[in-house]
Amino acid sequence: MQAITGACLMLTPANYVLALIGVPLVGGALAYVLPWRGARTVVVCLTALATALLGVLAVVAGPFSVTCGAWSDPAAFALELLLIGVIVAFAWEARAWLIVLLTLLQLGLCLTEQFSAGAHAPTAPTFVLDALSSILVIIVCVIGALILVYATGYMREHAAHAPRTTAGDRRFFLVLVGFLGVMNGLVLANNLRWLAVFWESTTLCSFLLIGHEGTAEARANALRALLINAFGGVALSLAALLAAHRGGITSLDGIMSAQALAPMALLCIAAMTKSAQFPFQSWLLGAMVAPTPVSALLHSATMVKAGSYLILRLAPAFAGTRLLDVVALAGGFTFAVAAALAVSQSNAKRVLAYSTISNLGLIVACAGIATPLAYAAAIMILCYHAASKGLLFLCVGAIEQKIGSRDIEDMGSLLYIMPLTTIITLTGMLTMLMPPFGMLMSKLLAIEAAIEAPFVLLLVIVGSALTVFFWAKWIGRMQTVSYHPHYPRETMPFSMSSVLVMLCALVAGGGVASILVYRTLIEPLALHTFAHASAHTIAALRAAGNLLSWPVFVFPLLAALVWLWTIARFNPAHVRLPYLAGENYEEKELSYAFLSIKDQPAVAWTTSLYFKHTLSEARITPWANLIAGLLVLSLLGVLGLL
Amino acid sequence: MIGRLLLVVLVVLVAPLLGALLNGADRILTARMQGRIGPPVLQPFYDLLKLFRKEPLVLNRIQIGYVYLHLAFMLMTIVLITLGQDMLLALFTHAFSTLSLVIGGMSVRSPYSRIGSQRKIMQMLAYEPVLILLVVGIYLRTGSFMAGAVAHLDAPLITSLPLVFLAFLIALEIKLEKSPFDVATSHHAHQELVKGITLEYAGPYLGVIELTHFYETFFLLALVAAFFVTHVWLGVLVALAVYGAAILVDNVCARMRTTWMVRYMWTVPMALAVCNIIWLYLQPHAGR
Amino acid sequence: MAFSIHSSMARSPWFVHYNCNSCNGCDIELLACLTPLYDLERFGILHVGNPKHADILIVTGSVNHRNERVLKNIYAQLPMPHVVVALGVCGSSGGVFAGSYNILGGVDKVIPVDVFVPGCPPRPEAMIDGLVRATAILRAKSAGAACVPAAKPTITVVPSPAPQEPHAA
Repeated sequence: MQAITGACLMLTPANYVLALIGVPLVGGALAYVLPWRGARTVVVCLTALATALLGVLAVVAGPFSVTCGAWSDPAAFALELLLIGVIVAFAWEARAWLIVLLTLLQLGLCLTEQFSAGAHAPTAPTFVLDALSSILVIIVCVIGALILVYATGYMREHAAHAPRTTAGDRRFFLVLVGFLGVMNGLVLANNLRWLAVFWESTTLCSFLLIGHEGTAEARANALRALLINAFGGVALSLAALLAAHRGGITSLDGIMSAQALAPMALLCIAAMTKSAQFPFQSWLLGAMVAPTPVSALLHSATMVKAGSYLILRLAPAFAGTRLLDVVALAGGFTFAVAAALAVSQSNAKRVLAYSTISNLGLIVACAGIATPLAYAAAIMILCYHAASKGLLFLCVGAIEQKIGSRDIEDMGSLLYIMPLTTIITLTGMLTMLMPPFGMLMSKLLAIEAAIEAPFVLLLVIVGSALTVFFWAKWIGRMQTVSYHPHYPRETMPFSMSSVLVMLCALVAGGGVASILVYRTLIEPLALHTFAHASAHTIAALRAAGNLLSWPVFVFPLLAALVWLWTIARFNPAHVRLPYLAGENYEEKELSYAFLSIKDQPAVAWTTSLYFKHTLSEARITPWANLIAGLLVLSLLGVLGLL
Repeated sequence: MIGRLLLVVLVVLVAPLLGALLNGADRILTARMQGRIGPPVLQPFYDLLKLFRKEPLVLNRIQIGYVYLHLAFMLMTIVLITLGQDMLLALFTHAFSTLSLVIGGMSVRSPYSRIGSQRKIMQMLAYEPVLILLVVGIYLRTGSFMAGAVAHLDAPLITSLPLVFLAFLIALEIKLEKSPFDVATSHHAHQELVKGITLEYAGPYLGVIELTHFYETFFLLALVAAFFVTHVWLGVLVALAVYGAAILVDNVCARMRTTWMVRYMWTVPMALAVCNIIWLYLQPHAGR
Repeated sequence: MAFSIHSSMARSPWFVHYNCNSCNGCDIELLACLTPLYDLERFGILHVGNPKHADILIVTGSVNHRNERVLKNIYAQLPMPHVVVALGVCGSSGGVFAGSYNILGGVDKVIPVDVFVPGCPPRPEAMIDGLVRATAILRAKSAGAACVPAAKPTITVVPSPAPQEPHAA
């Protein structure tokens, strides 16, 4: 223990920050430079390992803050100009004039801030690692590392089937690995300028990775992501400008302590674009054309969390304001509508995308409610969702490589075709739904917290009923299998299978221990953040921590054991065909075929309910965008209070 | 501690007996309404014992696990409520019990079973909001999410949650798989989708489903009685009367379509419950 | 009120019913047994829709070449212990269709039958009697007795009495 603490303290906080940002960037550059795939794989895996270790060590080393010298402001400004230039270059090349316009607007705002506000001595720390950012650093470093290792195996298989126009693995790994460093920077940043730099960098990474395939569809979706995130970037720059004008505020801490409403509103809007809340959700759905590791890393586990993380960070300072009421309502609305839209999707990645949007909406709603219990619920959802959704995306990627389809209706018999992956996928999905796993517990806490905000409560109730619907359909479909006495051994690249198993263990273990995690880690954090909350809300927080009688979970455990025992003494003579009024047509794979008219075999094929007419995207999205747009406009109404 | 453990054991042992007797009374009452005599009141016991003696035919090994989970989560729900724990957790556990049956039903390659499972999920979609609003209403009245807090009230829940009670009664009809909502499987003689979700279960596994149904009947009627917790005998009488009314509605109504069920539940009972909740929010004290 | 498992088997016999080439007369009379006038549910008998839930398989009709396959399929899906009841004289000998080109001439040609209930159609009281005997066999099977196929009924037609000489007025 002493040795570990010693090792942690050998690095100063500034070193940690530099390492967390720099190591992945260096690793990515190395991966780009080396021309051999094997060497690249080694470099990526080593970088992943190093990042994970660094993340854990940094968190163990405890909360710290780093205040950079006078060089940090000009450096950030220069980097921001560079980024804007790169984005404008890409947009110009693609003839996307709206993006060019928005980015030039952003440039204008940036320049105005730099040359009008004057040079202020930065009084707030530039980079901060506190409890909330530690959580995100762990998520980024550990889960990100696992996804990187998976990506090495996945991209090797992928290259065999890739379209001709793909940009090549070298650039892919440069951006994917470098993204970890950029994301770390975003999470650690307290200074608004540096936040903007890393924010724009993640936008750029997302753009490059979505467009990786090079097909027309990929390019179009990448541009759409760039457009919506450029809009968010404008909001971010405007927020920084207003904050600087208002009182020389240059950091998030400053906004919080001054309770500056206008910058907060604009930051919330920027966060909503990054987290694909309604009406900004279309880019995340389009981003699903990217290869699976991209969807897992950027678009479920880390990058989209950045927006909700930002709101979560800032919200406690604005508790009780109308602004947060509107934010909570917007989040709740997203939660409900995204869940409804997920019901109508049969494309697995789109279901996962809508589910991600939905859960991010729930985090935003809880952040907006801003009571200790809501804050705790939001953090729990953040952690458990990142892990579970990342795992699910990786599994869907493996499944897609094997069966060549993303449609849920094609996923029957998977238990026989690829047993290991299917069991891991089912574990991931059950952890989203089943008590005592973290996601269900956090949903429970969210409902309990939403008592304070009745409209949000109604939306959360509607959303959680719909959530059960689409998960149940998918879980049921994946379990469909006939009787087989023996199951084949699955062949998958070791990098992919090892990561799946490790992540599954993490998800399952963390899920089972959810109440322990809540009691020991999250509850103290919430209490610390809301030191001045009312006694009533603190009582609610403490009461929720008692909510589990652990011994009661012995029942499902016993059921599982009895099941295993039943399988062990299973007599194959007890297997029968399904009931089809006596007309079963006994062919090898089709036990649901029957003899129809003229004794011709027909297949009794039933699909799940999708409500493609009532809940179709074409029908609901315009209305949802309208209502969400009105909510965003009302957020902007706060600007009148300047 | 020992006392609570004994209470749990008692409830776990007695609940299915009471549930089975209620089931038997259901069949006799239904028969009398139809001008018949009906089976003896102990018939569900005979049914259960017979089922455990039959050959356990299955289609695959997965459905076995889910039928055990179905029972396990129902037991968990009953134990949670007996120990006065978080009502939302009990609700979600109960939902997962039904979900286990749904997944088991979808795991077999039988069209009837699959369609029955889809309809079961739609049933859950229909009644889930009303049940969560019920728990929210109880919280607004008692100030706690723990079921044990209901026992310490001075006025029964019905005085502040009458509309929620009414909405819950309508949701009860769905949970008991009675007309007009018995779309996923059916009771005894009224076939729907042959036997829908329970079609491909035979012998002991069907027996486990029946046993869980007894537990569920007991649990739901105990919830009804909880609305009158200050006058226990009145609560028991009301629960029995509600059960009788549910049987009456079952025998009078025809089976309606699934889409109608969802539309209806999301308008009328949800509106009733929401009105009641709004009224509670507007009250000055509301236990908060 | 014996609660042994075997007596419970006799007290809760659920039947599934299949029409194999019958004219529907026996089927209608069987369903009449479920009506208030005869009320089979008094005996705990329920009409279930599929063989996996059933103890008794009631077959009407004399089974033709087409539904021989179906009948075997249904029989295979019955969980043990089970009994088979052949309802109506068609099921024992072919009835009025005996000797016809398409029928096999009796349910016992396809599956082992435990109880024959002759009649065209048998009265509901006869059907109930047959079902009660079937439950007794069910109980015996549950207790481990061997399966002995029933003997076919030998007398199916009772000759009507000779017309009497009219008395001279």
